[in-house]
Amino acid sequence: MKYTVDIVTENKPGVLYRITGLLTKRKINIERINAFAVKGNGISNIYFTADIEERIVDTVVKQINKIIEVIEIKYHKVSH
Amino acid sequence: MKISGAEILMRSLLKEGVEVIFGYPGGANMPIYDALYFYEKKLRHILVRHEQGAAHAAEGYARVTGKPGVCLVTSGPGATNLVTGIADAMMDSVPMVCITGQVAAEFLGSDAFQEADVVGITTPITKWNCQLTHAEEIPEAIAKAFYIASHGRPGPVVIDITKNAQFEKVEFKYPKNFYVNKLKTVNKYNSGDMKKAAEIINNAKKPLMLVGHGVLISKAEKEVLRVIEKTGMAVASTLHGLSSIPFDHPLYVGMLGMHGNYSPNKLTNSADVIFAVGMRFDDRVTGKLSKYVPTARVIHIDVDESEHHKNVRAHFPLLGNVKDVLISLLPHLKKNNHDDWLGEFKKLDKKELIWGKKRQEKNKNKITMDVVLSLLSKKTKNEAVIVTDVGQNQMFSARYYKYKNPDSYITSGGLGTMGFAVPAAIGAKIGAPKRLVFAVVGDGGIQMTIQELGTIMQEKLPIKILLLNNECLGMVRQWQQLFFEKRYSFTHMESPDFINLAKSYRIKGQKVTERKNLDQALNKFINFRGPYLLEVKVEKEDNIFPMVATGTSVDEVRLE
Repeated sequence: MKYTVDIVTENKPGVLYRITGLLTKRKINIERINAFAVKGNGISNIYFTADIEERIVDTVVKQINKIIEVIEIKYHKVSH
Repeated sequence: MKISGAEILMRSLLKEGVEVIFGYPGGANMPIYDALYFYEKKLRHILVRHEQGAAHAAEGYARVTGKPGVCLVTSGPGATNLVTGIADAMMDSVPMVCITGQVAAEFLGSDAFQEADVVGITTPITKWNCQLTHAEEIPEAIAKAFYIASHGRPGPVVIDITKNAQFEKVEFKYPKNFYVNKLKTVNKYNSGDMKKAAEIINNAKKPLMLVGHGVLISKAEKEVLRVIEKTGMAVASTLHGLSSIPFDHPLYVGMLGMHGNYSPNKLTNSADVIFAVGMRFDDRVTGKLSKYVPTARVIHIDVDESEHHKNVRAHFPLLGNVKDVLISLLPHLKKNNHDDWLGEFKKLDKKELIWGKKRQEKNKNKITMDVVLSLLSKKTKNEAVIVTDVGQNQMFSARYYKYKNPDSYITSGGLGTMGFAVPAAIGAKIGAPKRLVFAVVGDGGIQMTIQELGTIMQEKLPIKILLLNNECLGMVRQWQQLFFEKRYSFTHMESPDFINLAKSYRIKGQKVTERKNLDQALNKFINFRGPYLLEVKVEKEDNIFPMVATGTSVDEVRLE
């Protein structure tokens, strides 16, 4: 199942690496990714789309949410 | 007054209440070691023989004190040698702060001498990590590191400090009342949740509580007892939950999992309510997941939200610190008893007991690991700290030592790191100097970190090493026997003369090869003042049972 995950995070080095590491661990391949700093407030937005098994998506998202710098996370199914 | 980054680090560690550092000096942390020279009265430094030893010692220290263990190592190989221990701490939720030296900022990325991307390497195995290139960053990073390591679900953090930051001089200012917002509130349940959870438990006919490491981490042993005694529910323990409940409690039915006791495995699937308390349904506990608790209602307390539904779907997840949740739950629970249900355990316990007697009869004049551990338990009044390695020694220690007091069984559960016991026992002894600390090891595992005998010698630590020598890699050999048609591929191991080896480290020792000498040897071993290595030659072709074989359900647990 294809999902888009929207993340709001502190803009610190290594956060993207932590996120992609959690995906690599489960052999999840990113199809599209977009990351940009919000000007002036030290916050960054990261969006990615990936094929993730339905039974694990919730756990993967919660694991990403454990990253200390992550402030908010949402995910939704991508309709074809 | 301006002071160096290295001295700022010393003062920051003192602000965090650090008393002991396990470390090893090298090029990229020399300024820190130079500062330590002036602080050695306030900060005890234990010089290990290999950085992996520092990591496991820090884990052992953390496991008995509840405080983060601290490691200090140099860049490159110093840091990469820590990796196994960091991964171990991550898997077993052990608070640990690792400080690694790093090449000067101007050389970063240039493949400088002893440069390794430590932040990169340790990211997947840390709760948090960072690299500091300026002295002024040190205080807040240390405050943050200790907060993160010890709040919420504990874990390891790494702070990589470049050499120039260690030299650089700035004013020292430590943050007051520092906190990390994300970990400030861990309890996310309300009284309505408590009422609903209590209702499920109150209406249960066959309730079974599963206690895990979370009970020990949150120091909820008393609360667990109050809950089980009020509700009359049976309670079983995971490997890491061992020692959270006294072995002789009438409601305690034993250890769960692959090499757990017979009755709790056999009856897990018969329970109508599973009350999982600070445990994470590891595959070694659940056996075949699709056949695990097919009908029971599952209430799952965990401080880590991502553990809810990860392996087992919980009908009622409760997010919070185990102790706090249990305190809130208690008033809603009704007094009850489940004697019939407990009777079912007792019936199966008898079966295990009869099997055990037969086993004893068969091995009458032989030395097997269970005999050694049972005797050790009796002779130490069940009060010692047992730090185990990984394999058969670990499982026999789990099953045959009778744990009476909390934090008495220390092992590498998640990562299963051979070589854990000796260095972890060093940390445990330093953290709990008044307790009797035993490292229980096999002939394989001890040789993975045997150089730490040097640390024991230098620090004069009265650690007792019980070496159960079966001249092979016992657990792998057992699997080869059971599942690979006795093709013993590279599990036979020849070893040095351990007693003489210990002697060369000025550690006294004795080797026992016959059953009739075991009693006396154990007495001497336990009562000797100072470090001691007791090598016991145990049966080679002996297996640990009961066993839930891989791919089978917990109720298919076998006695042989």
